[in-house]
Amino acid sequence: MPDLATATRAGPPLAVESLTYIYPDAARPALAGIDLTLAAGEFALLAGRSACGKSTLLRAACGLVPHFHGGEIEGSVSVAGIDAIATGPGELAAAVGYVAQDPETQVVSTTVAAELELPLEMRGAPATARARAVEEVALALAIPHLLSRTVDTLSGGELQRVALAAALVTRPQLVLLDEPTSQLDPVAGDELIWLLRRLNEEWGVTVLLAEHRLERCLPAADRVIAMDTGAIAFDGSPRDFLTWAQAHDTALETPAARLFSLAGIEPLPTGVREARQTLGLRSSAAAQPGRPPRQDPSAAALAVNDLWVELSIGDASRDVLRGVDLRVARGERVALMGRNGAGKSTLLRTLAGLVQPVRGKAEVPNGIALLMQDPGDYLVRERVGDELPGEQGMAALRTVGLEHAVEADPRDLSGGERQRLALAIALAGRMEGDELPGLVALDEPTRGMDRARKHDLDELIERLAAAGAGVVVATHDVEFAAGFAERVVLLGDGVVIADGAAADVLSGGWYFATEVARVLDLPGVVTPEQGAAVLKGAGEP
Amino acid sequence: MRSPFAYVPRPGPLQSASPGAAVAYLGAFAAVAFLYSNPLVLIATGAAVVFAGALAGAGTAVRAALRMGLALALLIVIVNGLVVDRGETVLLRLGHWPLLGRVDVTAEALAAGAVIGLRAAVAMVAFAVYSACVDPDRVLRALRPLARRSALTATLVSRLVPVAAADAARLRDASRLRGPAAAPLGRAAMARRLLAGSLDRAVDVAATLELRGYALESRAIPSVSPPKRFAAALSPFGGGKSCRERSRFDRRFYLTGALVLVAAVAGKLAGADGFDEYPTVEVSLAPSTLALSLLLLCAGLAPLRRRPRRNPSPGAVSPPALTEVSDA
Repeated sequence: MPDLATATRAGPPLAVESLTYIYPDAARPALAGIDLTLAAGEFALLAGRSACGKSTLLRAACGLVPHFHGGEIEGSVSVAGIDAIATGPGELAAAVGYVAQDPETQVVSTTVAAELELPLEMRGAPATARARAVEEVALALAIPHLLSRTVDTLSGGELQRVALAAALVTRPQLVLLDEPTSQLDPVAGDELIWLLRRLNEEWGVTVLLAEHRLERCLPAADRVIAMDTGAIAFDGSPRDFLTWAQAHDTALETPAARLFSLAGIEPLPTGVREARQTLGLRSSAAAQPGRPPRQDPSAAALAVNDLWVELSIGDASRDVLRGVDLRVARGERVALMGRNGAGKSTLLRTLAGLVQPVRGKAEVPNGIALLMQDPGDYLVRERVGDELPGEQGMAALRTVGLEHAVEADPRDLSGGERQRLALAIALAGRMEGDELPGLVALDEPTRGMDRARKHDLDELIERLAAAGAGVVVATHDVEFAAGFAERVVLLGDGVVIADGAAADVLSGGWYFATEVARVLDLPGVVTPEQGAAVLKGAGEP
Repeated sequence: MRSPFAYVPRPGPLQSASPGAAVAYLGAFAAVAFLYSNPLVLIATGAAVVFAGALAGAGTAVRAALRMGLALALLIVIVNGLVVDRGETVLLRLGHWPLLGRVDVTAEALAAGAVIGLRAAVAMVAFAVYSACVDPDRVLRALRPLARRSALTATLVSRLVPVAAADAARLRDASRLRGPAAAPLGRAAMARRLLAGSLDRAVDVAATLELRGYALESRAIPSVSPPKRFAAALSPFGGGKSCRERSRFDRRFYLTGALVLVAAVAGKLAGADGFDEYPTVEVSLAPSTLALSLLLLCAGLAPLRRRPRRNPSPGAVSPPALTEVSDA
């Protein structure tokens, strides 16, 4: 085993040279000729579309590639002076911490304290050293109150903090994070990013963070590395990255940068603060209307009256929904928002009949098709046509635009196609001819999606609404909600706390507001296009 | 949904005790249940375990175990009543049954079945209290130096079982959400999908274990002889015990467990286990039986936490105030 105490002073936190890696049985390399060095104390953001190699690079930096995944590797990876290709992830873990996307599979103990102690115990640290390290990391991540809790009682945000604490408890030089905020609400997501920045500044931890929601992370980053098909396409400062994205891949632009780009304002801002400083107070024009509403108020897709739902949580029962009233018309596009645990998923599950209310009524007169968070739960056969046999199955496939994929294996479809297939499975037989059920509901459909795939989903929702279905989407993604929704319903603690036009709800706060709304602070202005129109109008005489 | 037997951290004496102390305490009751046939002693043992569970805050686990244990006891009573024809007090003559022959249900056979059922129920409640009150992480930590591979398997299982249960619940929901024209989801397809999902999960959990340094364990654990490792693992102050896990209640549980065992053995020798099922039921209520039953009931109060003493009134001359009563 290398002498880690000396090794951690022997080189930069991460040095990658000419790294090429191919997964077992893969047709093409996941990483191709990567050269990258991170200096001590840097906060670097890893950007790029889905499947561009971000996660593989992180796994190579912590030793899981190739030690855990196998495959063929060329080049060198050095972590704090330790050869990561020759050394296993267990030994490397003293120098590098790794936090993955799904917090559920990152905990292996029953209680939080034991989870944090485990990496130190495995290294033979004495009890007193373990106790001190656990105490310090818990304080640094503001989780001392969680130490005695069992991991199955934690929320997603708490669990992600525990996973981060377990990665940091050995005081590594480098911490790698793979989309750690994808399952968190905007509040928990922002908190996690600023917590990382604080650890970066106070502890000097070098951070390499892969994320799709760049607007959330860019203000905290010192450097951005953009990847494309396994290679590094850009490496530079956040401001230069925005200029590069504007020219090479607009799907990677942040909303504020796109706002400036459309309005012809330079320099492009890396965050809300910079954007506001650049703009000063020069905008005061009125809001532009968003997408025109399509609903037919006479045809209700959903009527919820005084709905109360009680669920057992641990030893206790809790009212998760408390007197919810809600109407959705056919053709209406509604975003259901709120922090983790606000009751969004429970409401959708109640509408679909998976949960029985203790009081009140939920009516879906023309039926409901619900797509839950993981489309893989719907896919159990090895041929698309076997999942959806007959003419009704074909009609459902046509609705989601997958009629060409009847012979395909669902596992060979892209992430977006798998999601559409799962939706077709939920729709099959609930359509009369090509007519959709009254309500189509989607629960967190954008988890882990890049902006291009979100755009495809936006188009699908538009088509479903145009075909007469009311569409309700539970989401944490405010930018996505601003794009597709004409109305936003905000839940807080099981109660509807805001219900109105998307442009109004998403411009009236801080956490549940788009980046453009936070920059301009104008009622009704939430998208870059709306904001650019306002800025251009304000600039005219 | 959580299992009623799942560990719930609480600040009680039994939860904060080391696994060795909790096993010594609860195991003593289980040992008495298997040593004795006297119904009074068994009822006292059962009551003691129920007290212990209730005082430790494991009421949910105790209730669930009682439901299961009493259902099992009833089944044993019925089966014993049907298959055993010994005893003089015939309650029912059920004629000839295939395989069983002539079936006469006797009061003695029912009583013998009740004793066996009661014994099983007591053991189940004791295990339920253990499961709800003893931190599995601490048990695994104690086990690791003794049997690394078994501890690894137990770690994986203890993590994967709840994850697989959650996956199964999600798959069930997804199957209910399939449109009526989608291919129906049979049990075999569901089981295949669940297995495939579990394997994916297992790979993720294994990767996490790898990153936490599980592969280093053989180097991290000092190379001492197995007997020394065994002693260290069981010791309340050894076995890689965390500073966070010190307990002032260990001595109480070790002593109570030892007292119960010694009294049980002494009572056995002194004839406290007087009970004959056949030919007629005879239950001894000798002084030694009553004394042992009373001692068992008192032993069930061991998880009781005494209230902290009030601070003395200002101006009173007294030793420094204690906020908690020490067991020592």
